[in-house]
Amino acid sequence: MPRSRPNYAFSRARWSAAQLVVLTLLALAVTALFVRAADNPSDHVPSFVEWTPETIAQASSGDPFRGMLLARHCEHCHGTEGFSDKGSTPNLAAMDRLALWKELEDFRAHKRVAFPMNPIAEDLSHKDMVDLAAYYAKLPIFYDPEDKRVFPRPLPGLAQKNMAWRLVTFGDGERGIPPCQACHGPIAYRPGAPSLMTQNSDYLLAQLEAFAHRTRANDINEPMRTIADLLTDEERLALAAYYGSGLGMQPGSSWPSK
Amino acid sequence: MAFRGGRYNHAPVKWRKLRTFLLTVLILLLIPATRFYQIDEPLLRWLRGKHQVDPLALHVSGEFVENNLGTEQNADGSVTVRMIAQQYLFIPHCILVPAGVPVHLRITSADAVHSLAFMSTDYNVKVSPGSISEAELQFPKAGEYKTACREFCGAGHYAMRSEVRVVPRDQFPALRDGERGNCAAQ
Ligand code: HEC
Ligand code: HEC
Ligand SMILES: [Cu+2]
Repeated sequence: MPRSRPNYAFSRARWSAAQLVVLTLLALAVTALFVRAADNPSDHVPSFVEWTPETIAQASSGDPFRGMLLARHCEHCHGTEGFSDKGSTPNLAAMDRLALWKELEDFRAHKRVAFPMNPIAEDLSHKDMVDLAAYYAKLPIFYDPEDKRVFPRPLPGLAQKNMAWRLVTFGDGERGIPPCQACHGPIAYRPGAPSLMTQNSDYLLAQLEAFAHRTRANDINEPMRTIADLLTDEERLALAAYYGSGLGMQPGSSWPSK
Repeated sequence: MAFRGGRYNHAPVKWRKLRTFLLTVLILLLIPATRFYQIDEPLLRWLRGKHQVDPLALHVSGEFVENNLGTEQNADGSVTVRMIAQQYLFIPHCILVPAGVPVHLRITSADAVHSLAFMSTDYNVKVSPGSISEAELQFPKAGEYKTACREFCGAGHYAMRSEVRVVPRDQFPALRDGERGNCAAQ
């Protein structure tokens, strides 16, 4: 007996073709949705650096010898021994390597905008930055009367010194200013916060003002923009003079003042 | 095979095989691709729960990016306040809210365990890294409320203080879309 041919097998095949199309479209739509949700271009991102253990390990793994060779290009401004002869150019000797590496990454990504460092950092590879950080972190901070470094500056007056000392050691609980030494050392260090103990006062003052005016905005979660904004003009001046004259060094180590 | 394809099916076996093969390839490609392009991040984040954040990446994406911190005006008149607690600061350092409206506080920590305590009260919101603490507040009167961290968090702990400035409702600035209020906006 001849059986009539049911058509369902064919219609089933058609259905699965349609299914394929629908599935693909759905996948694309969902993908587009997630891609849009993932990055919001209007967000202000201060820095792409995240202090994960892997980042810290990688940024600390530099080769100081290779860094020394690369540092030839930096000597002209930052000094042969990491101490600059211009007050507005930072000293890099013994700078915390995580901080140094982060600044270079931020210069490269234009998260911190400062002539001439942006074009210089663009020419460095990621490995170069790690190696440079390793080299500068190893430089000693002995005083050499032969070279023309501007650090340390003459000691500030007593009033200025006391004002800065209080902020460095205690901060100001009333206004909610934490002590500088809780993040910049020597009491405790936060990743990416450089030690300020051998920094030039002109540079420090310029950075504090830049943070306060938000022209420098690469500090993760805004600690420095907040603190610099809370400080008064005199306090910023006093703090720059305090660190810039070598007073931030631990008590006990003597520093010859000019 | 002869039974399934031969007599009852107009579509030849090889097309069906091809379809099955293509579908399998598509699905197999989709899975590593979503992982590679991190398209599944939001999905994973959602699966992990909406109260969880990565404390080391608050500044890069998500709810606690800089421009989303502060006071957000909601359509129903209430406000949402988003803050970060970190060693040894609250960000934003000064919060501006209108008096007499519900305030939904959402706060997370970037490092250690902190707390947001309203001084001269015993009200206290504990803040831990990785999770979002929520609190429903309401300030009946205008004024300045001092807040402090009451969970020892390190060398600068005792200076970890901030402020909530409550203004009458009509003095609260009208915020544009996407704009967040803090004391600087006043
Ligand atoms: C033409 C002069 C010049 C050269 C060359 C130069 N720098 Fe700089 N660098 C500067 C100045 C000026 C600043 C301060 C920028 C500012 O005002 O914010 C700076 C800042 C920096 C900072 C930030 C320091 C801090 O405390 O935040 C780092 C790190 C740095 N430079 C590293 C380097 C390295 C590494 C090289 C070599 C590859 C280099 N620089 C070459 C002038 C120079
Ligand atoms: C909550 C921790 C914290 C405290 C407290 C703090 N800082 Fe900072 N500071 C940082 C961090 C983090 C950076 C690095 C910013 C970046 O990522 O570029 C920084 C950077 C700086 C810089 C720029 C340094 C450079 O080489 O570019 C200066 C200057 C500075 N701080 C001064 C101060 C002074 C003065 C105080 C005390 C009133 C202070 N800081 C208190 C965390 C802190
Ligand atoms: Cu705390």
